[in-house]
Amino acid sequence: MSKKIILLVEDNQDDEELTVLAFQQGNVANEVVVVRDGAEAIEYLFGTGRYEGRDVSDLPQITLLDLKLPKISGLEVLRRIREDKRTRRLPVIVLTSSREEQDVIESYNLGANSYVRKPVDFVQFAEAIRQLQLYWLVLNEGPPV
Amino acid sequence: LRDYAESIVKTVRHPLVILNADLQIEVANPQFYRTFQVEPAATEGCRFYDLWNGQWSLPALQLLLEEIIPSDGFVEDFLVENDFAGIGVRIFLLNARRVERAEDHSFIIVLAIEDVTDRRHAAEAIQQLNEDLEIRVQERTAQLAASAKELEAFCYSVSHDLRTPLRAISGFSQELLRKYTPILDDTGVHYLKRVCSASQRMAQLIDDLLQLSRIGRADMRRVTLNLTAMAHEVGDALLQRDPQRTVTFKIEEGLTGQGDPNLLQLVLENLFENAWKFTGKKPEAIIEFGEADRDGCPAYFVRDNGAGFDMEYVGKLFGAFQRLHSDRDFPGTGIGLANVQRIIHRHRGTVWAEGVVGEGATFHFTLGSEEKE
Repeated sequence: MSKKIILLVEDNQDDEELTVLAFQQGNVANEVVVVRDGAEAIEYLFGTGRYEGRDVSDLPQITLLDLKLPKISGLEVLRRIREDKRTRRLPVIVLTSSREEQDVIESYNLGANSYVRKPVDFVQFAEAIRQLQLYWLVLNEGPPV
Repeated sequence: LRDYAESIVKTVRHPLVILNADLQIEVANPQFYRTFQVEPAATEGCRFYDLWNGQWSLPALQLLLEEIIPSDGFVEDFLVENDFAGIGVRIFLLNARRVERAEDHSFIIVLAIEDVTDRRHAAEAIQQLNEDLEIRVQERTAQLAASAKELEAFCYSVSHDLRTPLRAISGFSQELLRKYTPILDDTGVHYLKRVCSASQRMAQLIDDLLQLSRIGRADMRRVTLNLTAMAHEVGDALLQRDPQRTVTFKIEEGLTGQGDPNLLQLVLENLFENAWKFTGKKPEAIIEFGEADRDGCPAYFVRDNGAGFDMEYVGKLFGAFQRLHSDRDFPGTGIGLANVQRIIHRHRGTVWAEGVVGEGATFHFTLGSEEKE
């Protein structure tokens, strides 16, 4: 089985670099694809716009979704993912700075598989990413294709 | 006796008139003549109804003079309101009494007429002012609540947004430390470590600030809480976290209180953690939780035998980011007690502290009551 990609939806360059760095430290062989706003995430997943023609049946193994995104918010992206037959079972992990109760509730209501708050401290952040990887890429049995 | 009666009639401040059984005016006092602007000569002997071109011939007054007084003998504070030609709407309070004449068993009516128009108007004006004031208070309260909410949201958003650049500072400096120490000298490594620990401290400050903002916005409910059990849990958690410390908890049995479970959990955690921290340098630390009566209200207290504080600075104790100890001695952000105060105030309670340097501190709090919320 070829390694599936990890889709990272992240608008902040620093956070993007740090997340990719953390994945590298965890020796993940999966390619990390980064999209920088909600609209691009939608285009990628549904093969439209900039990703016209992409094979949409090739779903990411996991999607790491930030909530505060330009154009289309993370929650809206999540809603569209769950509405569409092709992506409704896609594992989505909300990875955000927010610990606002309303965001957590809303994410789960919309069908997030997990909610992880990004720690400020990089050692803790890298550890969070390592555990995420271990659980979602190794331990967890993903939905059948 | 007649002189005596007449002098009373003349002295009374309110218009007073004596009517005979035929409702003719026998005599009136000067105040009566002044108020109704009539001359004694033209008044005495007149029928009361004929006064002022018959304007006093009101159905209510007829009822009073012809039925109530003859049968009941008296009437108190009988209200007559009428639009009188020349002076406009007036409101009169009438008090009257039937007096039997011993000599011939006839009777007279003593009628006191008080013009309460101005008083009424003043009372109405006061009521109107009160209503306006109430509306204005409601408007201002709503504005205040709205701006407080806005401020909370702002505070939340700012502290939230501050985390992202901070993560970059922390992340990249830690990467530098991890990978690039061979090409840095000792001073360079030292500086980087300072950057890391400063960013960690700032992260803690932001988290505490977020908690402060959350406490202000959280929904509150009041239930009966087993404070003794909550205190035991908080104490046990501290003992587990730091098992090498020797700390004795003295927690009074059977303490209950009315409050929000989550918020009061935070109060106990903050006060116990403070006590735990500031007894850190005592070989035999004692932390007490109990209740003492204060003006009939139960006041709870958390007491320790730790570092204490100088009462001169007690006013600074509950301010956000205010600290009475250096970070070197006792680390902290200075938010804990601000949170405690905020929670207690949301419960309509009060919180206060006593301390002696080197001997310990006591924090007292009350929980107020639901009716006042």
